[in-house]
Amino acid sequence: MKVKNRRMMTAPLAALLFLLVFPLFVSNDYYLHLMILALMWVMIGSAWNLLAGYTGQVSFGDAAFFGTGAYTAGLLVNHLGWSPWWGIPLGGVTAALLGLPFGWICFRLRGAYFALATLALNEIMRHIATIWESLTDGMVGIMILQTFYAPIDSPIGELSSKTPYYYIILFMAVFSVSTVIWVMNSKLGYYFLSIREDQDAAESLGINTHYYKMISLGIAAALTGLAGGFYMNYMGFIDPETVFSLHDISIMAILVGIVGGVGSVYGPAVGAFIMVMMQEAFRTGGFGLLDAFAEYTGSQFVATSASLITGAHVLGFGVLVVLVIRYMPNGVVGDWSRLMKFILGRFQRQV
Amino acid sequence: MRKLVTLLFMGFILAGSLALTSEQARAADPIKVGILLPITGKHAKFGEIEKLSFEMAVAEINKKGGVNGRLIKLIIEDTTGKPDVGRSAAEKLISQDKVVMLGGGYSSSVTAATAGVAINKGFPFLVNTGSADIITQPTAHTPSGKKAAKLKKSLKKEKDKAKIAKIKKEIAAFQARADKEVERILPRFSIFRLNPPVSEYASGLEGFLAEVVKPKTVAILHENSLFGTKGAASFEKSAKRLGIKVLLKEGYDAGAVDFKPLLAKVKSKNPDLVYMVSYILDASLLMNQSMELKMNPKLFAGAAAGFTLPEFKENAGKASEKVVSATLWHQSLPLPGAKEYFDKFRKKYNRDTEYHGAEAYSAAYVIADVLKRAKSHKAKDIRTALAQTDMMTVFGPVKFVSYKQMINQNKLETYVVQWIDGKLRMIWPKNLSKTHYVYPVDWLKERK
Repeated sequence: MKVKNRRMMTAPLAALLFLLVFPLFVSNDYYLHLMILALMWVMIGSAWNLLAGYTGQVSFGDAAFFGTGAYTAGLLVNHLGWSPWWGIPLGGVTAALLGLPFGWICFRLRGAYFALATLALNEIMRHIATIWESLTDGMVGIMILQTFYAPIDSPIGELSSKTPYYYIILFMAVFSVSTVIWVMNSKLGYYFLSIREDQDAAESLGINTHYYKMISLGIAAALTGLAGGFYMNYMGFIDPETVFSLHDISIMAILVGIVGGVGSVYGPAVGAFIMVMMQEAFRTGGFGLLDAFAEYTGSQFVATSASLITGAHVLGFGVLVVLVIRYMPNGVVGDWSRLMKFILGRFQRQV
Repeated sequence: MRKLVTLLFMGFILAGSLALTSEQARAADPIKVGILLPITGKHAKFGEIEKLSFEMAVAEINKKGGVNGRLIKLIIEDTTGKPDVGRSAAEKLISQDKVVMLGGGYSSSVTAATAGVAINKGFPFLVNTGSADIITQPTAHTPSGKKAAKLKKSLKKEKDKAKIAKIKKEIAAFQARADKEVERILPRFSIFRLNPPVSEYASGLEGFLAEVVKPKTVAILHENSLFGTKGAASFEKSAKRLGIKVLLKEGYDAGAVDFKPLLAKVKSKNPDLVYMVSYILDASLLMNQSMELKMNPKLFAGAAAGFTLPEFKENAGKASEKVVSATLWHQSLPLPGAKEYFDKFRKKYNRDTEYHGAEAYSAAYVIADVLKRAKSHKAKDIRTALAQTDMMTVFGPVKFVSYKQMINQNKLETYVVQWIDGKLRMIWPKNLSKTHYVYPVDWLKERK
């Protein structure tokens, strides 16, 4: 697992440098918002990858930990009057506290059975948050004030209230990716890999697989919980449907991992950017470029097809995901060399 | 490889210049207004009827010369009915499309989430459907205020003097924080709402129940959503006022496919009235399955939303017949242009419209009026112009006032409609209705 050659480090470091200076050049709130979401998904995807990609325990219930983190932050504000920022570290702790006993019970199950158990955990948490109205306010959700406001009536695009959020989540994303690198380079990483490859063989070598699976789940849950705490701070509004959503959180976490590359350190990071940007690009018709093109050419046909494509965005996005999984089973990062060969090969032949 | 890079680079420049030229071309003419609606997803039907109405209204306004010689251009963004997507859409409209104000806002939870974006920037947002009371309550955005109120309630039960002193201290601390928060939020509280809040949806129905149906017991079913929960809670209060006993109040998950266990429970309690707060699919399914279970209460009543859409009749068929619902608008109301709007909509799209469409249609006219009156199209001036709105629309008079902790809230009457022979007829209040209500109803006979 050790990052041996220098070349492997250049791309991530260049990307980090780019991300560090990004807000200095782009002050458009919309792009910053998308970057913040993508960075949040880097965290969740990396955490999922640690558990599923490296330890081989596929989770369908990341939303349980994400929502727990988010609700920790929200409830601290609502009931104790604390600053929601405490919710970030404490959200990580509560998510881990939820994950550990769950793992202790459910890691007796293997493969698909464990995945089903995580799915159930997701639903259980959602129902608790919905029904326990005296604590969580149920479906009314929790609304809090954001901490960072732009000065009132500052011209749109000149002063952004998002820059502080951006750097906070960038720091958190870097923290999670480094945690994964650190874990996978330590002794723990070898235990995790051996469990993924063959649990019985690992057991026979004297590895307490149950214990190490729990550790893996604990770290993953904590990282996801941190992201949840951040979500509450940033979005200012949560309800059970949003943060415990099977489709929008749990499945999205899996897609981020798979599209980026399961079992590669930077895979989920790349996957997060691809998924968030693609989803938005499909929803808005290529960030409005399609509409601009239709207006530029003035052709009714382009305008109609632009509105049709935008209208079918969920479908288009779904098809794309299917294609990626079909033709790049190791994800964009895992199949990068193949992908480049494919594109370059085509290109060279044409030339 | 180098050639590939060059090619890509050229492509980017081309795309960029394309976007730029169109930006320049646009800058001169139309005023851009952003509309947030669910075009896809579970609320798509509501989004569609509002979208069509918005487009129709703007086409009319532009035909008459637009606003001060400039045309209005709507940029409709799909929220997909999800709060976080709604937020992305709002950010895009404000920062990238540079719209001058926001409109639309369907479903309470999406509106509550997007309102956050608008408040953060002090950006004007005219909500026309999202109905939870908290959307226009600045104090609801301040959790400390809510906590202080809760503590005050608990104070009444407490007897121990030491504890009372402690709680009082806590209340003071929370209140101080709440005041600070409200102080911070008030100057930028830029949310204006055209439609009545959900707590008033049933006020028209209350009269009908008190004078005609006189039920003794009620079962309340609601969707587990911000709108559903709040609607059910406020009807529970109405029931208490009217002396109706609540036998059952239960939420269900949106998009459920089998309501029979729930309905069987209702049937076994045998309530006089079954009151439902549901969006469209659940509303029709509830009625269909209540027919299959041969339920026969005195009255089935819905809390607007899903029960007035034309699709309700299409999906529920004869199970929709004689169902009563609260509503915010009906074409037969003596409002200027109401009937014309209904007929025009029918002619143009060959389908019926109802209160959601009327809300959107009126919102477009309010937006045009505001843009006409605003000194400039800066956020501040539009906020001021919105606050001074006083006009008549097909949806009723629009004037933003403060009451019940809500600010910038339009105050309107609500009405009662009934599905009679496949047509949505207004039946209450009596003096405004042309159709007489059908009551009592034998549901078993009705649905044979």
